[in-house]
This record gives sequence, structure tokens and C-alpha cells, in this order.
Amino acid sequence: MAGHPLEPRLAAYIAGRLPDAADVSVSGLERISGGASRETYRFRARWRQGGEVVARRLILRRDPPASLIDTERRVEFAAYQAFHGTAVPVPAMLWLEEADGPLDHPFFIAEEMSGYQASPLLLFAGGYEAVLSRLAERKWTILGEIARADPEALGLTQVMPPMALDACWRRELDHWEAILDSDEAEPQPIARAAIRWLRANPPPPAQKLSVVHGDYRTGNFLYDEAGEIHGVLDWEMAHLGDPLEDLAWGFNPVWQFGRGLAGGLLPQDEATAVWERASGLVADPAALHWWILFNCVKGQGIWVGSARTFIDGGNTDPIMVYAAWWLLNAQDRAILKVMGRL
Amino acid sequence: MTPQVPSVLAEMAQLLMRNAAPDVPPAERANALTLAAAVLGVAGEVWDTAAENLVAENRALAALLDGAADETSLRLSALHAENSRLRSLLIAAHVAAEDAGDTARQEAIWAELIASTERRKLSVSSV
Repeated sequence: MAGHPLEPRLAAYIAGRLPDAADVSVSGLERISGGASRETYRFRARWRQGGEVVARRLILRRDPPASLIDTERRVEFAAYQAFHGTAVPVPAMLWLEEADGPLDHPFFIAEEMSGYQASPLLLFAGGYEAVLSRLAERKWTILGEIARADPEALGLTQVMPPMALDACWRRELDHWEAILDSDEAEPQPIARAAIRWLRANPPPPAQKLSVVHGDYRTGNFLYDEAGEIHGVLDWEMAHLGDPLEDLAWGFNPVWQFGRGLAGGLLPQDEATAVWERASGLVADPAALHWWILFNCVKGQGIWVGSARTFIDGGNTDPIMVYAAWWLLNAQDRAILKVMGRL
Repeated sequence: MTPQVPSVLAEMAQLLMRNAAPDVPPAERANALTLAAAVLGVAGEVWDTAAENLVAENRALAALLDGAADETSLRLSALHAENSRLRSLLIAAHVAAEDAGDTARQEAIWAELIASTERRKLSVSSV
């Protein structure tokens, strides 16, 4: 079978980024499952440089025609770069391309971290039971490290707009309510009731301005059979904000995977304690509750956006339908649960 | 169900046709067909009860709103449009009940909202 049609174009792009390399070739390009917000491919690149043959396993993350969530790949790329080499494990970034010319849509290329898993289904299929507690400890320790980090020292205030500590909640709520306004294909009475409650009961100002990963949940990190986490992925919603926002996203009940535990891994209070130890911050229960409910609204904004993208024909990949069908009603039920009505 | 089932089935049919071509990379074909199968499975699950659930929900909403549901057409698209109209009115009624401090009316609305998530619950629901 002939290679993937993107392979020669990708080889030409890499050759352009490596002026001292010769005979650049790309092979084995294949799309990795998932990819609702970016198309993700793995491939092998080879070239000659300084008399040596170099072979690398790389990842291509390309914008789809239309996405489940509209985000800036420059911000995502910067977040990976900022945390590389720190206590927050991330893959190494190589090149960011924001023009459409080379591969039709903007993309970036990163080192592949091979030999690890990301799937929650595999994690909870039974083979990892012995290491789930260690994995849970690592999961919320790393999230605590993200919360503890200084965005300015990481250089991220250059690409992520800072804000006043008492403005974090309103900016996020305004953002996701606007997405519901623009994207909902049918009225959302449960999410709208939650938004009214959130506005009537605002949380206290953030303890500090932190980097917020924005989608830190089971399924968005690479793990091994020993319960170690080797790479935190999917930073496309990263921004600066209240660190409780990030802790609370993983407590959205849709991420329990039917196991009745935060992230399918640990009781919420134990996960919170791990995060507090690692971050040096405090998770006030009332404020945390506000942010969990907020994240249920945010989730509904994402699933509504997924349905809208399919309906408008911008991206008819079946993942856009499955995300909406699987999660729109489940997210409503999660809202009811968090509001104490289910 | 949003997106609505007929448009999804039409799109999945096209996807199957595209993936019948011999030059589709195997990994991409496997990914597309696995997800398409999951979508078709959900469509099959909701198909039999879709009209009954929409009629029941529309009647419940109309009763709460002191009106009657429009059932001049029993096509799913028509029932769905009527459902959206009634749910918009329900949001307004919920806001009015909150503003008036009418807790009994608020509780009645919440009871219907809870019931609506039971009607729409899938076997694969995580909550």
C-alpha cells in the first residue's frame, strides 16, 4: 500500500526546518484514535545529518477543519514548552506552524512518548488495579505542581492574559455561557439554572493566579504499568486563572467513569488532600463546590459545541456525534448531582 | 438526541462508503469504523423509544406551562421542534418562579427536569 498522502508534504516541511539535514523522509504516518479538538498522528522521520542517520518517532497535532473547541495552538505549544523539564512531565515540542500552506491547517510537531497508555477504558479494565492508588497520587501531585508554578517565571504571561484574582470566575463563566448562547441546538434549562445559581453565589477571589491546564482528567495523561505518569497531554484549553478550576474539572461527575470515584481513582476528599500537599494551596469546600458546578457548565458548553460543529457540517467525524450523544444528558445529570437534586 | 438521528445516520452512511475505498490507511479506517459503530449502536438504542419519550416529555412540559403540546405531526423532527419550544418556555417559567420566590413551582420544574434526564438516559451514561 502507498504511504499516507501527507507523508511527502510533511517530509518537505521538516526538511525546510532542518537546513543541515539531507534525505529527509517520513513513513508510517497513521492517525491516533480520538482527536476531537486536534487531529493527532504518529510517524517516523529519518534524515542524514553530519554523516549520521537520524531516526525519530514524532507526533503531528493538526487543527481539524472545525473543532470541538476553538483554541489557539500557539498557547498550547507554549504551555508544553514551559513545563518541559519541570516536575510536570510533558513531551518535547519541536516545531509550531500557524500557516495553512504546508499541511492545509495549522499544526505542531512533538517527540512521541512511546510505550505508554492514555486510555481510561484500558486503565479500568482490571490489569492496573494494583497501581491505581499510586497513579492517583501522581495524578493529583502533578496537578498540584501545575497550580504551584509561577506563570510569569515560566514565560506564560506572554501568551496567556493575566487577570485580577477576583475576576477569574466571571471571565470563565462569561466565556462558557457565551458558547452555550452561540452553539446550543436546543434549549438547556438545567445548565441555565446552574448558571443563574453560579452568578448568585460567586466564589471568593483566587488564592493566586495559576496556570490552568483546562482539561486535566483521567484520559489526558500517559501512564505505565507501574502507575507512573510520563506525559500530561491536551493543553489546548490552558489559560491563567483560579487553581481550583483545574482541581474541580476532574471532579466533574462525568469523569468518574461509572466507578463513583474522582477520575475513577480516588474519593474526592483524598484527591483534594494530595493536591493541597503538592500545591501548598487550600481547597475551600464552598469555593471548590462552585468550581465543580462551573465545570459542569463548561462541560456542557463543550458537548453543545461538539453537536453544533457536526450540525453545521464543519466536522462530521463520528467523535463529534458520540461526544454529544454520550455526554449531553450525562452532563445534565452531573449538574443535578452537584446541585444536590439527584 | 442532538444532533438528530436521521442526519447522523445519513452521515455515517457516507462515512462507511468512504471507508470502503481500498486506499484508506488501515489505522484511520479502524478508528472511523469503531466510532461509527459506537454511534450506530446508540442510534439503535434510542430509536424505538424516541417518539414515545418526546410525546411524554412534551405533554409533561405543556401541563407545567398550563398549555397543550402541539401533536399535529408525530414526525420526530416536529416533536423535537415542539420540545425545544416548550423547553424555552420552561426556562422563562423557571426564572419567573425564582424571581417570585415561588418554591413550590420551582420544585415542580426541577422534578420535570430530573424526569427528563431519566427519559434521555443511555445505557452507556456515565452519570
